[in-house]
Amino acid sequence: MSHMMQPGIILLRDGTDTSQGKGQLLSNINACTSVVDVVKTTLGPRGMDKLMHDGRTATISNDGATIVKLLDIVHPAAKTLVDIAKSQDSEVGDGTTSVMILAGEFLKEAKQFVEDGVHPQVIIKSYRLAASLVLNKLKELEVDITKSGSKTTRDLLVNCAGTTLNSKLIGGLQGQFFAEMAVDAVLSLDEDLNIDLIGVKKVQGGAMQDSFLVDGVAFKKTFSYAGFEQQPKSFKNAKIILLNIELELKAEKDNAEIRLTNPEDYQSIVDAEWKIIYEKLDKIVASGANIVLSKLAIGDLATQYFADRQIFCAGRVAQDDLNRVSKATGAQVQTTVNNVVPEVIGSCGAFEERQVGNERYNIFTGCPNAKTATIVLRGGAEQFIAEAERSLHDAIMIVRRTVKNQRIVAGGGAIEMALSFYLRDYARTIRGKSQLIINAYAKALEVIPQQLAENAGFDSTDILNQLRHKHTQEDGLWYGVDINNEGITDTLKSFVWEPSLVKRNALSSATEAANLVLSVDETVKNPKSEQEEHQQMQAGRGRGRPMM
Amino acid sequence: MSVIFDESGRPFIILREQDKKQRLKGYDAQKSNILASTSIAKLLRTSLGPRGMDKMLVSGDGDVTVTNDGATILDQMEVQHQVAKLLVDLSQSQDDEIGDGTTGVVVLAGALLEHALTLLDKGIHPTRISDGFEKACDIGVEELARISDKLEFNKDNLEPLVKTAQTTITSKIINKHKEKFADICVKAVLDVADLERKDVNLDLIKIQGKTGGKLEDSCLVDGIVVDKDMSHPQMQKVVKDAKIAILTCPFEPPKPKTKNTIVIEDKEQYEKLYRQEQEYFVNQVKQCKDSGANLVICQWGFDDEANHLLLQNELPAVRWVGGVEIELIAIATGGRIVPRFEELDAAKLGSAGLVREVTFGTVKDRMLFIENCANTKAVTIFVRGGNKMIIEEAKRAIHDALCVVRNLIRDNRIVYGGGSAEIACSLRIGEEADKISSVEQYALRAFADALDAVPIALAENSGLNSIDHLSKIKSEQLKTKNPRIGVDAVGSGNSDMRTQGVFETLIGKQQQLRLATQVVKMILKIDDCIVTGSDQF
Repeated sequence: MSHMMQPGIILLRDGTDTSQGKGQLLSNINACTSVVDVVKTTLGPRGMDKLMHDGRTATISNDGATIVKLLDIVHPAAKTLVDIAKSQDSEVGDGTTSVMILAGEFLKEAKQFVEDGVHPQVIIKSYRLAASLVLNKLKELEVDITKSGSKTTRDLLVNCAGTTLNSKLIGGLQGQFFAEMAVDAVLSLDEDLNIDLIGVKKVQGGAMQDSFLVDGVAFKKTFSYAGFEQQPKSFKNAKIILLNIELELKAEKDNAEIRLTNPEDYQSIVDAEWKIIYEKLDKIVASGANIVLSKLAIGDLATQYFADRQIFCAGRVAQDDLNRVSKATGAQVQTTVNNVVPEVIGSCGAFEERQVGNERYNIFTGCPNAKTATIVLRGGAEQFIAEAERSLHDAIMIVRRTVKNQRIVAGGGAIEMALSFYLRDYARTIRGKSQLIINAYAKALEVIPQQLAENAGFDSTDILNQLRHKHTQEDGLWYGVDINNEGITDTLKSFVWEPSLVKRNALSSATEAANLVLSVDETVKNPKSEQEEHQQMQAGRGRGRPMM
Repeated sequence: MSVIFDESGRPFIILREQDKKQRLKGYDAQKSNILASTSIAKLLRTSLGPRGMDKMLVSGDGDVTVTNDGATILDQMEVQHQVAKLLVDLSQSQDDEIGDGTTGVVVLAGALLEHALTLLDKGIHPTRISDGFEKACDIGVEELARISDKLEFNKDNLEPLVKTAQTTITSKIINKHKEKFADICVKAVLDVADLERKDVNLDLIKIQGKTGGKLEDSCLVDGIVVDKDMSHPQMQKVVKDAKIAILTCPFEPPKPKTKNTIVIEDKEQYEKLYRQEQEYFVNQVKQCKDSGANLVICQWGFDDEANHLLLQNELPAVRWVGGVEIELIAIATGGRIVPRFEELDAAKLGSAGLVREVTFGTVKDRMLFIENCANTKAVTIFVRGGNKMIIEEAKRAIHDALCVVRNLIRDNRIVYGGGSAEIACSLRIGEEADKISSVEQYALRAFADALDAVPIALAENSGLNSIDHLSKIKSEQLKTKNPRIGVDAVGSGNSDMRTQGVFETLIGKQQQLRLATQVVKMILKIDDCIVTGSDQF
């Protein structure tokens, strides 16, 4: 169906594939909907997981952003969907599947109009209008959780985290367990809620219920030299010193060379080197610390030296672990052992080396100003823990968002139904094509409860009808899909909560993405870039993206 | 994955290399995943229990392993299928966490999946099935805790621990000497255990194998065995009441780490240098002697000159001992590792009642036994056996038994083996199932049925009529309300597992249930497999 041109005039290079007009627009929409088809079964607490295998590693996930990232989508229009999922992930951390489903549904509704000859710009304009209406309404409807009753903030946050986790592998009966873990972890942080300070460690083996939260720091036993086992492995009220120096017998200056003329001087050089390292060690011992952690290596000599003096040491501690220890215990990382003042030495209530699964872990607890937490995840298989980590990350992000902005809406499709109902009402008050299109937008919003019901194996039409009916009534505002008993329920009362920020972001980026796809009416594919793309593809990676 | 066409018949490529990707969706995906997993489980079924059979695995370069340890079998099989790999991970996790029951957990997971498949055929939503399984698992774990018994033991009464270790060893190749091995394992763990903190570091138990001799020649050495001999053949072979200097510096002139050159300009200087080197050796040996040591163990090598001097001074020495072994020796003998000769003194020496070099049979292999260490915190289990395969399998069995004993020290509750615990859980879950009014009822029943797979496999492997036997046990358990009745695998005519002394740790059993349920849940939740590359699904 390539576009016919005037004979004789060659405008573009031979082989250039141009396609334009309505056909192109429709084809783009189709591409987007087929991507949405892949992810839509993952929505909600009854959503399923996808297994993706690229020849080497397998990923099992339910997270929309992760799935589309791994699908490696090359279609230019469909790529916009991947981008909004990614941006949703980085902006709010959750709702990545819903944002794609919404965008897909907006496009599907628009398709009908395009086929009927409505100009895409009209659709875009009305969609924009609809989106701004919906966002305003959302602001009106959202509930401030702090005012919602007598429950403590912690309980409220647990509800939000629980809703996020519901759809994940670690949801269900254990959802509560992990939701509390995520909330406790976030609440232990200080004001600016830097989530880098929540360490997540993965130890294969054990059941999920064996996962635990350390209100301090935990990290795997580092490589140790002979003598390590003779060190004490548990302290009460430990004093901790953090270092960034090597404690090894070594050449102090790299490029130095010594010329000796008198063999007797030989011993003095040897002694001098020993003296340097012993001085360092003596100073550390003199500082009063009984736990020494270093980012660089702690050699066998130092290990044995510390063992003799009942000091615990660990070398080659990873940077972020060291940072967390520093945050938790108040110790400052030292680059020299000279002038170690008591202020830079941290302290913690208890230190212990403990067996976790097959590994030994160093665990610091009871830290005075614990502004950090570590979650140790356990699970039966590698993929299992990896998915648990992704899910927990989502939950942590949601809790963090909610702590910052305590406004929530009810999930389970309730808010979408409420907005849809509002839009339908509004549409009746306007004239022109806009009315139809805004109605279509309203219909598209219903895809969320519909998909939720469908994934749970319910009769989605029936559920939707019940919901529509309920939302026309006074008390029906927060009615959504009841996953446990096929039916509908007030999801605000049953604590299916989502931060309103998630919804706001999802609605606006889904609308943006749909509009972007709608505004394209021609694709020019350069044959050369296609060839390049082909070559790059064979090299295993490529990003030859044809012009849009 | 097939290419999609739009209305005007043009294909659109959405994914990179779309035509090469394969995709299985919905029911097909679930079915193929379940079939792959159950075939793995079927493979392990015959290895379960005291009458379970071994598998012989030949690796790519011809190494032969004979074992009936689930984790080892799966590990060596190099499973390709992604979902089947989850089961490999599963048994590995059980191994990491508990150390025993690696076969049972896979058999259980396989049975669960098999039953899930029939439920899927009925049209039950997979997440409902997994919800039900989870509920069932919780009930099962609770029931296990209810029927568990506390195992009282102390330093003087080790019998219960030995009994449990025996249950583990029964299914392994060394079961002929299970009393002996169980005894060894229990003693070894108690030697290194920190009973106050309930912590056992198994790194402190060294398992050293040596081909030759018989299995029953294996023994527990309250010290360390190293595969080394004295540095000079004429040194004395036996040292009684040894005072051991543990060194991490070589008997060589010290070398500064800074780059250096010695400029020698005339003969006198050269001689001076030579003399000084000699002096070093004499001094070093003297320092060792002065500290009161009568044995030197060194991580590094000796200069020939030094070796000779050591012999002259009647100071037996061992060289090139690895870092880990040096550490274990230090822990066992209570000595300190000394980084240079100047720091040697009597307080830093380790002591051992007897150090001897042992020669085996007609071969010239020699090993060093450091024994009778006072208050040792590190021990060695010395395994003998006819060939390498037997020794390796014995080592695995010992590892399993060690883990079991360790778990008992952490949590001294036990349940009874022989499938009795599974049957008790199955009965209980079946009972609970009737109380649930939703779809989960089916899932709970399926879970209860799946639990029967373990006793059935046990009975089958023991050559019994499995169904007949199982139903007998079940009814007997129900009638007598005795949860200890299990499969009489050894044919002793007694099916009460308490009197038979078949114990398993509670945490091990609970872990099996939980792990199996979780992996099954994960597999059930997959409804879409997207594969890039050539792997066939």
